[in-house]
Amino acid sequence: MAKLSLRNISKRFGDTKVIHDFSAEVDNGEFLVLLGASGSGKSTLLRIIAGLTDATAGDVIFDNLRVNRQSPRERDVAFVFQSYALYPHLTVRENIAFPLALDKFKGWHHIPGISTIARRVFGSSKDIAKQVSGVSAMLELDQYADRKPGGLSGGQRQRVALARALIRNPSMFLLDEPLSNLDAKLRAELRGEIVRLHRLTGKTFVYVTHDQVEAMTMATQIVILHNGVVQQHATPQEIYTRPANTYVARFIGSPPMNLMAAAVVDGQPVVGGLTLAAPDGPGVGQPRLGDGGVTVGVRPEHLSVTVDGGRQGLPGTVRRIEDLGADTLIGVQPDPALDLKTWELNRDELIWIRQAGQSRLMAGDACTVVPEPGKASYFDSTTGENLAPAGRNSDAGAVPLGA
Amino acid sequence: MSLRTSISPPAVAQPPIQDAPSRHHMWQKISPYIYVGPAVIYLIIFMIIPVVQGIQLSFTKTPLVRPDGGTGVGLENYAKLLGSPQFYNSLGATVLYTAATVLFAVVIGTGSALLLNRAFKGRTVMRAIITFPWAVPTVATALIFGWIFNRSDGVLNEVVGVMGIGQQGWLVDPKFGMAAVVLTSVWKVMPLVMLVVLASLQSIPTELYEATRMDGAGALETFRAVTWPHIAPTVRVVTLLMTIWSIRRFEIIYLLTGGGPVDSTNTLVVNVYRQAFSNQELGRAAAIGALGLVLSLLVTVVYFIMERRTAAKEA
Repeated sequence: MAKLSLRNISKRFGDTKVIHDFSAEVDNGEFLVLLGASGSGKSTLLRIIAGLTDATAGDVIFDNLRVNRQSPRERDVAFVFQSYALYPHLTVRENIAFPLALDKFKGWHHIPGISTIARRVFGSSKDIAKQVSGVSAMLELDQYADRKPGGLSGGQRQRVALARALIRNPSMFLLDEPLSNLDAKLRAELRGEIVRLHRLTGKTFVYVTHDQVEAMTMATQIVILHNGVVQQHATPQEIYTRPANTYVARFIGSPPMNLMAAAVVDGQPVVGGLTLAAPDGPGVGQPRLGDGGVTVGVRPEHLSVTVDGGRQGLPGTVRRIEDLGADTLIGVQPDPALDLKTWELNRDELIWIRQAGQSRLMAGDACTVVPEPGKASYFDSTTGENLAPAGRNSDAGAVPLGA
Repeated sequence: MSLRTSISPPAVAQPPIQDAPSRHHMWQKISPYIYVGPAVIYLIIFMIIPVVQGIQLSFTKTPLVRPDGGTGVGLENYAKLLGSPQFYNSLGATVLYTAATVLFAVVIGTGSALLLNRAFKGRTVMRAIITFPWAVPTVATALIFGWIFNRSDGVLNEVVGVMGIGQQGWLVDPKFGMAAVVLTSVWKVMPLVMLVVLASLQSIPTELYEATRMDGAGALETFRAVTWPHIAPTVRVVTLLMTIWSIRRFEIIYLLTGGGPVDSTNTLVVNVYRQAFSNQELGRAAAIGALGLVLSLLVTVVYFIMERRTAAKEA
């Protein structure tokens, strides 16, 4: 059982700084997801926690002990690799038992001949066998126990890797994109499996991924990293409802939040001639709108689209219809006369709307986009910071979690 | 079913389906033969025919001066060989030379590869230096070592002289002849072992080493759990190649000792040369060659049996 504190961690590789002064506190039993695009430094951070890489500066603290100088093994953490890192010549059973057998191995067991006998003895040791079969049963690996990793599918291999981590009963589990090499169906299946293991063990999990779905569905806390800098550290719900800045707003959500430049007139934001209502969502404070411009962000599900020209909204033309079955995504190009400047903020020049069910609209139809009152986010147009005050639980890293 | 039938269009007589003409298909059929053709022709002309002719020759008594004018003697050459202690001495020298060269080359080569696989300053330079002997022409190697081992003014005798040991006839004393030849051969062929094993070492995923670190394995456990299983197939192949090449090696041995001293390095290949060109007995030489071929084939067969067993165990 361990509470994890990371204090002012920095890491350079030569002249490249990959992590800038990272701090975070993770309570015992949390499921922390480090989320970021590739090159954001998330895997490096995980390796620093594991002890596979040394930080250039800063402390890794488990409970009240600084573990900077400890070897990975001494830290009593388990690591699950993206590539599984199973020992290819050992059977599933031997792979799982490997860490336990090592515990019993003494220096003199290395003498040729004795080593073979020693391994036989440990391999058939009753308590090891019992633990291995317990963990195998938990992960439904019993029938593969005598196979080599080469004869297993990707999902089964990752289960073996999870079993090898579990069997040591470590104080913390570190997982480095464990599902990235699997197909979508297996990913969903193993996501549930990992969440179940987290509940079952009650241990701290630190999980690295670039997949926002994994982050949103598994995490109790998410840290979003970009170029080695923390963008936001909060619960999944808060990250979705109150992204700390425009980067987070665009990173989370599919399609991401629509961003539009807005003027502030008499304290009211105005987008393309449309005056928006002030935000009123629960737990979200009043944004401090200055007199200059702001960036307005609206999630696709908080917009609706209508062909009724009489409605107040943003006129435009339907360009894309993506029917997902339960929902339809509608991409609308705003009327160029509005000079909306979405192109500066969004990759395509479209405003995306998510609508339940099917749509009768067709590409080329003229329409009006209507925002749901009070559901917009407001960002500083120069820094990109969210102008609404952060929730009690979150900040960029420094505030303790689970308070 | 009836519903489906009722909405499907009425059956129209369809013309029978034929294969569309395809050049691609023709090409796929003949191209493999075109690709392997040159290699097969090369093998037939330069390997199969000479081997067959050599075996034919071994059943004749053919003097060197009249290679076409042999007289058939049946198995006489083989009978003489198998009855002569000189042949068994030659066979013994071959086995000893091969075993020693392969053992030292593989052990030292694998060891150097393991050392050079670690990150340290000057690693590239070290790799270049250790690889160097492989690039030196064999004849040059033999001549250089001939000087080193020279009795009167060789470097080796200078060195042992400083250490207080008297001058030795490294290449003329039966006690040292084989050792000198093996040392030279190992120096020459070890870099190849190192390069091949190093390449295999570099293909081991780093995650496996990190996994052993997480599991708390020490250096020896890591070697046994990760390194050795990965490089073992390579080491086996390189051992096979080294063995076959050692059985066949000629220049180094012949140029250093000429098969002496007192026939102590008179391996089968050197023996073939001496029978053919010194004793001018082509038939006898061919018989030795044929027996040497059998030895090489035996090694290969043993290797493949071992490989098959390992593969069966892996599966």
